[in-house]
Amino acid sequence: MDFSLNEEQRGWQMEARKFAEEEIRPISLARDQIADPSKTFDWEIIRKGSKLGFRTLAVPKAWGGHEADFVTQALVMAELAKGDSSVSKTFSQCWKWSHLIAASCTEDQKERFLKPFLADDTFVLGKGGSEANAGSDNRMPPEDDPKSGWKLQAERKGDEWILNGTKLYIANGSVAKLFFVDARTNPNVGIREGSTMFLIPNDTPGFRVGKVFNKRGWRFYQNGELIFENARVPHANIVGEVNGGVKARATDKSEFGDIELAANALGICDDAVGLAMNFARTHKRAGKLVIDHQLVQLKLNEMYALTEALRSFVLRVAWERDQKLPDVGNNVLVMNYSTDVVQRVTRLNMEIHGAEGCMMNARVDKLVRDAMIWTHLAGDTVQRVKVVKRLK
Amino acid sequence: MYNLNLTAEQLEFRDTVRDFVDREVKPVALLPARLEPFEKPLLTDLLDQASQMGLRTLALSEEAGGAGADGLTSCIVLEELAAGDVDIAVVLGQTAMLGRVLFDQLMTPGQRKRFLPEFVEDDQYHLAFAGRDADANIGWCYHRPLAEEADTEPTAVKKGGDWVINGSVAFASNAPIAKLIAVQVRTDPKKTGMNGLSTLLVPRDAPGLTVGQAVPAIEGSGQRIRWHHGTGAGMVFKDCNVPADHLLGKEGQSPLAGGAHAARGATQLAAINIGVARAAYEAAIDYAKLRWQGGRHIIEHPAIGMKLADAAIKLEVARNTVWKAAWVADHPDAVSDRSASGLPLHIIARAFTAEVLHRATLETAECFGAMAVMRDMPLQKYVHDTLVLLHYADNDSAAMLQIAEAVAGYQRPLAA
Repeated sequence: MDFSLNEEQRGWQMEARKFAEEEIRPISLARDQIADPSKTFDWEIIRKGSKLGFRTLAVPKAWGGHEADFVTQALVMAELAKGDSSVSKTFSQCWKWSHLIAASCTEDQKERFLKPFLADDTFVLGKGGSEANAGSDNRMPPEDDPKSGWKLQAERKGDEWILNGTKLYIANGSVAKLFFVDARTNPNVGIREGSTMFLIPNDTPGFRVGKVFNKRGWRFYQNGELIFENARVPHANIVGEVNGGVKARATDKSEFGDIELAANALGICDDAVGLAMNFARTHKRAGKLVIDHQLVQLKLNEMYALTEALRSFVLRVAWERDQKLPDVGNNVLVMNYSTDVVQRVTRLNMEIHGAEGCMMNARVDKLVRDAMIWTHLAGDTVQRVKVVKRLK
Repeated sequence: MYNLNLTAEQLEFRDTVRDFVDREVKPVALLPARLEPFEKPLLTDLLDQASQMGLRTLALSEEAGGAGADGLTSCIVLEELAAGDVDIAVVLGQTAMLGRVLFDQLMTPGQRKRFLPEFVEDDQYHLAFAGRDADANIGWCYHRPLAEEADTEPTAVKKGGDWVINGSVAFASNAPIAKLIAVQVRTDPKKTGMNGLSTLLVPRDAPGLTVGQAVPAIEGSGQRIRWHHGTGAGMVFKDCNVPADHLLGKEGQSPLAGGAHAARGATQLAAINIGVARAAYEAAIDYAKLRWQGGRHIIEHPAIGMKLADAAIKLEVARNTVWKAAWVADHPDAVSDRSASGLPLHIIARAFTAEVLHRATLETAECFGAMAVMRDMPLQKYVHDTLVLLHYADNDSAAMLQIAEAVAGYQRPLAA
């Protein structure tokens, strides 16, 4: 076994660490505390990060990207998340869908969408699946209820498709220039056989962004409502085949989304550990430094142990994906594990800080709020149940 | 014998307050326009209504004009209020408890005559205590003498017939709305710690007293956020004069620091904690019966059922613990006749309740999927509120070591 990083991996990690410390962290709390959920975004940080390569990190070199391996991607996400989890997620959300473009888009589509994505520092990507009555049904369609899952309707008219319906809680919804959108093209069968994935530029006629959701955590990362009112989409924007939307999604074998959440959680844990250590070394209780109290030593021990275990698991799974080893469910397990670890570690950090009279350290609270997002991400419980089929 | 039958009066209290919360409090507290902003101004109209129902003077004796509720009844009422709005519960809990302690237990007949009529009459007459908790540092000094704490109290000196107070208090619950504040002051500068402190009754309009603005949700620097329920503020005393007979108890004594008053406060806070968690739990049950995913109402999925069952267990056991602590405090002979444990039941109730109910609230919120984190929905607020109760000043994990000291039979040497 060799746990060492190669020079390129180390290089990206250092670059990301520097950017997180010098650029992301200084704006993190202020952005989090903007009350209007549609005003939390900062295009300047996206531009700066994009110029350093963090927006296009996962795009193949042949197309002008950096083609970083999964270990590098995991390292960068964790470093960026240590500065601000939701800024990290805004960048990695672009990688998630650039993986899909590379895996399942036609040359024409790559020409029309990947090129402008690479050329424009503010070109951000998103994907629309969830609807008001289609959440976990999209992840684990029930066998006895074929009509469940997304309902957004697409009907063909000549060379165009007419889309009607509404998507909810869509990540990067209010800022993305291009969306992958799942629509129902055959309402009589389940979504696996009856849905199609469309590429939707944000200037598509009949398409608009509605409400920006006001969340407890991840406030920089905006989730929006996507509204389709007779939206007209060219047939050439179909990803994969008609009624083959779920299959098209599955062509991306990286399972990036799972590692992504786990690596991001790792960054939060690193931040929490750093805050806790700094506090414990600089504050006193009953005449002794906090770090010299057994009570706190035991908590710090647990925070470190959980964080290091998560780091090992994240990097191992990233390495497994790089080696293209058979997918035995580890990617889902690491995501589920990260959900539990990030709750616990951020809570321990809060315990160590405690209330200062009637106040709480705002960043300590932010980490707990960001961590809560994991409790439903990707339909957390559904994934825990679903992965059992893949376990050997 | 610990009796699980509530009295007819307790049941009536519970039903009346539950009805008030359902009809008056929830429609206001659950509005998205109320939930979304960081700043949530105190719902003062509802506080006035609650006062008219007798909840502000709940624990004040009947002879004095209150409802004379015991500790258990107060817990029952506060749980119901907190299921509607945690801030209303905390404010009323504080005023009701201080009303009993100040007017029924500590004031002289002369003081009572001066302050009681207005307290009973005025729906907006709230009470505050500004002072240190004598037990605050015990856990950090486990099995050792208490460490000396920096002295932060205002000083008071006698001049002519008056006390003249100077200095400041960083924070006191209820201060922004209190019309009478019991203030701990240092009257003997030669002594340190709890020795040499006295308590003065300071009316809100005393010359030289300035009460600060209520602590904002986010401090100006953005580096710290409000971490308490109800309302609170700091105060400054500048040659603040109060008459000599405003001394509460004897000079050099702090009758409100620690002891029975703190125990009742902790138990009340635990009851409020139950109310918040119960609101989340009841919302989750309603939603799980409505929400349709996976081919059935989600309440029919075992994964959801386990979360609800787990929350039900935690709520039931927490309520037992809190009610027992309240009941034993109401019946001190239960300890002396060895019916009940002599351990600090209020700390046990507070620590246990805060921990398990924060987890239960987070789990029940999970039944809502993404909606759990949306600020126009109450789930994220319930989670936040239980988190505040979990990491309150009186409830850091060091507080639990007070239980261990009691278990060990440790006797702390008295400070010099």
